Amino acid sequence: MSIEVRDVSKVFVGSQALNGVSLEIPAGELVALLGPSGSGKTTLLRIIAGLEAPDSGTIHFHGEDATERHVRDRRVGFVFQHYALFRHMSVLENVAFGLRVRPPSTRPNEAEIRRRAHDLLRLVQLDGVAGRDPSELSGGQRQRVALARALAVEPNVLLLDEPFGSLDAKVRKELRRWLRRLHDEIHVTSVFVTHDQEEALEVADRIVVMNEGRVEQVGTPEEVYEHPASEFVYRFLGDVNLFHGRLVRPHDVELARTAQGAGAVLATVRHLRPFGAVVRVELDGLDGGQTIEVEVARERYVELALQKGDQVYVSPREVDPPHRFGRERPA
Amino acid sequence: MPQALAMRTSAPPRPRRAGPAAEPALVRWILMATALAFLALFLALPLVVVLTEAFRKGVGVYAAALRDPDALAAVRLTLLTAAIAVPLNLVFGVAAAWSIAKFTFPGKQLLVTLIDVPFTVSPVIAGMMFVLLFGAQGWFGPWLADHGIGIVFAVPGIVLATIFVTVPFVARELIPLMQEQGTEEEEAAMVLGASGWQTFRRITIPSIKWGLLYGVIVCNARAMGEFGAVSVVSGHIRGVTNTLPLQVEILYNEYHLAAAFAVASLLALLAIVTLVARSLVEWFELHRRTDTTHEQETTA
Repeated sequence: MSIEVRDVSKVFVGSQALNGVSLEIPAGELVALLGPSGSGKTTLLRIIAGLEAPDSGTIHFHGEDATERHVRDRRVGFVFQHYALFRHMSVLENVAFGLRVRPPSTRPNEAEIRRRAHDLLRLVQLDGVAGRDPSELSGGQRQRVALARALAVEPNVLLLDEPFGSLDAKVRKELRRWLRRLHDEIHVTSVFVTHDQEEALEVADRIVVMNEGRVEQVGTPEEVYEHPASEFVYRFLGDVNLFHGRLVRPHDVELARTAQGAGAVLATVRHLRPFGAVVRVELDGLDGGQTIEVEVARERYVELALQKGDQVYVSPREVDPPHRFGRERPA
Repeated sequence: MPQALAMRTSAPPRPRRAGPAAEPALVRWILMATALAFLALFLALPLVVVLTEAFRKGVGVYAAALRDPDALAAVRLTLLTAAIAVPLNLVFGVAAAWSIAKFTFPGKQLLVTLIDVPFTVSPVIAGMMFVLLFGAQGWFGPWLADHGIGIVFAVPGIVLATIFVTVPFVARELIPLMQEQGTEEEEAAMVLGASGWQTFRRITIPSIKWGLLYGVIVCNARAMGEFGAVSVVSGHIRGVTNTLPLQVEILYNEYHLAAAFAVASLLALLAIVTLVARSLVEWFELHRRTDTTHEQETTA
């Protein structure tokens, strides 16, 4: 089911959480709301769910105005950042909850409820722990139970608030690949909130970059990374260096032993991280003392025989078009 | 009074090796001995005295004292008062704790402060307040007299005074508990389609049940044992407006020592029952809290 957000604004005591946000999410897509903390992404997600009401603007599900619809009638699946599993219920009962609270006319019978809860637990590969309490599960398992519980009501849209936020790095990577595969399998329109650009780039079909209560850019991961619409997006989606008012990614910087072209700057190698196919080099520019981050291929690193303390010339590779974003010297 | 005897029991100390930060054995023994001696002198000894005095003149006299019509009336009134005050405070406590913990509204801080008023005001003052309001010379006295409604020196006054002094017990127990639990589980239930009542019954109540039970037990002990506020509004009409604590006082003042201690032994029994119930609830609650702590640790 498609979601449309039209000109939504929300003010919390003293601060503008959302400022005229409009957004279209086509049916079946997996969309990331990406932004720093305080950018309004979680507020937007909660407004779509119906957990918060917008001060102005409307929310449409499948073309229908759902702004006034109560959260319990919206049929959204919501996965909370800290899972919010019912701690006094078993894993199975957590998953079955959405079916049990239905009015008697639409409630499946006991056997059917149990069958469906078990099916969902199998889907998230957790049928083995159906009888346990949530407190007995690991973080990654709880996350999957929360997902199964949200899916039990056959939601029109699935909303996830920082779904991998409180997991350790390894589990996080596994789970996001798993979520991607799950989405390819069940194809429910899904929106997840994240502040981790890598996560958004890896998982989402489409990324909505948010900043200070506004949408900065909407696009595929490639579009927002390669063609950022604003300086904010460019900076937020990766490390950048500043050369004469131009922003340059670390892998678009070249190092040389001799001056090459007019843009070259002399800098001292401060730190080297010679692991893997790409070597990261941190340098101090001699003119302004600014830090420059550079990624060079291993062969180039060997060729240059870089050592800590070396002085080398740093120049931006010509990219087309250069990223300037209006301001001469960005802050 | 039962609440004087009741004290918070703590978890059994885990056997552990004395670490580098541990106090010397002598210091620990002195501290423990002091605490135990204090408890024996001020808590255990009075209980023993009450029971020995009650049975001093034999079981027959003890039984007769309890079968006395005035004593039975006092028991009935005490039970009636608790049966009204405790459920009312239960409803009020849950409602107040719910609104304070889960919502923001103007006047919230004032409500929190007001809930504590009965703790900070002497019960005698509370009793006098009711007399000033509803007594013959009070604000509403003439109107009540015209309509034939008796509050002061009657059962309604005793119930009102008891409700007043027990207001904080349930609310105070629940507020921190509900604040700690937050609103996410309730939100999750609503997103899953649960109605307000379903959310309350299936999510909120189960997660606060031990705290709630604890609050009710303590509230009940206080409701049955309250003396000061009830004494002022009661008028001490035998067989009509005497609760158990007031009955004990009357008997004692009239030098019916054995009877006084016999009735007092009922209150002491209540104290023991309360203590046991409290310990049980605390044990269960501790169990639950350990689970929660464990949960937070593995999440982090």
